Amino acid sequence: MAGATANLEKIEGWDGQTSPMRASYGKLFMWFFLVSDALTFSGFLCAYGFFRHRFAGEWPDPQEVFHHFPFLHGKHLPLMYVGLMTFILIMSSVTMVLAVEAGHRKNRRQVLIWMFATIIGGFMFVGSQAWEWYNFIKGTDTGAVLYENKMYLYKVDHATHAIDTTTLRFKGAELSKEESARIIASGEKFYGANLKHNEYGHIAFADFFFFITGFHGFHVFSGVMINIVIFIMALQGYMDRVGHYEMVEKVGLYWHFVDLVWVFVFTFFYLL
Amino acid sequence: MSEFHDPFPSYETMSQHDEAHGKKARRTLWNVFWLLLVVTIVEVVVGLYAVDWNLSKTFLKIFFIGFTLVKAFYIVYTFMHLGHESKWTKWVIIGPFTGFILYLIFMMVIGEGNYSMTKRLDEPAAKVEHVDGGGH
Repeated sequence: MAGATANLEKIEGWDGQTSPMRASYGKLFMWFFLVSDALTFSGFLCAYGFFRHRFAGEWPDPQEVFHHFPFLHGKHLPLMYVGLMTFILIMSSVTMVLAVEAGHRKNRRQVLIWMFATIIGGFMFVGSQAWEWYNFIKGTDTGAVLYENKMYLYKVDHATHAIDTTTLRFKGAELSKEESARIIASGEKFYGANLKHNEYGHIAFADFFFFITGFHGFHVFSGVMINIVIFIMALQGYMDRVGHYEMVEKVGLYWHFVDLVWVFVFTFFYLL
Repeated sequence: MSEFHDPFPSYETMSQHDEAHGKKARRTLWNVFWLLLVVTIVEVVVGLYAVDWNLSKTFLKIFFIGFTLVKAFYIVYTFMHLGHESKWTKWVIIGPFTGFILYLIFMMVIGEGNYSMTKRLDEPAAKVEHVDGGGH
């Protein structure tokens, strides 16, 4: 092994022998996978930005849509819940990287403790997302009016968040009182969102919400499952028999990637 | 194994460290955690009071995307340990990704965006009412 170390420092180019990357096969290919996965998410977010720009007039304000907080029904608290979710994910990222660091010292006990904390954090995040979806699908108390397959929204006062149930808006434009009354009388109430209708505004908003946060949530869920597998392997002493904890490092790369994606989803979906 | 026929260096030679180095590494990790936390809190506060403080949309876009890139850099550099990989590993990962992203954004804005904004979406959208209306 000492010879190999010296060799690493001596050879600088590939030259048919040593890789200039000085990284193991598994780690490199985890990185390449993450690059391709990152491009998928970039495609999603770019498409989101494009649609949002294209339909700027009828795009819902995220702070008017996501303002729920557990046990505080009816309060208008935008960004609080998603801020909490971000905190949970960043925290679990830290516990993961501490597990990786403990693996570098071959400290099995600490690897297990930190990986367990990461798994708990992952479950908390997936649960939070389920609650977010539940509220989004269930909808607001007032809902919107579905008439002739078109969604008419109630007028909302931006400062007070008060809803005017006598005036409707369609594609960002306000309708007259008479027209609104006619549509309210003949249309039906619609609450929440699915892939076809969405009470918050443009339908693409709900579609992107389901696809992007769903795809991310699926990544988190897979990450938790892989973390559990690695946790059990570490528990059984597999890494000690192999002589290193690189598997923890590789699954850590995946986990941090999930956190990285959330940082972008948080910005583009909730903040902007 | 001959030292000249080892295509990949073994994990032991490169990624393990002792107790003293671990202590230093942990301090860095926690520092990055606090940085990420503070940046997130600042973002949330600015997001909440953007309307009250009369911040312009352009400023908010630059502010939020800028801070997002800062967070992304620290996650990749420290948590994903890319900062301590070899020069070639960094380039092989960052280079193609940046290239594709710039291409994607370029084609979105100049190509597809320009085409759709002027031609494709406007005309059928008026005829085919497949789009829900609304917006507060």
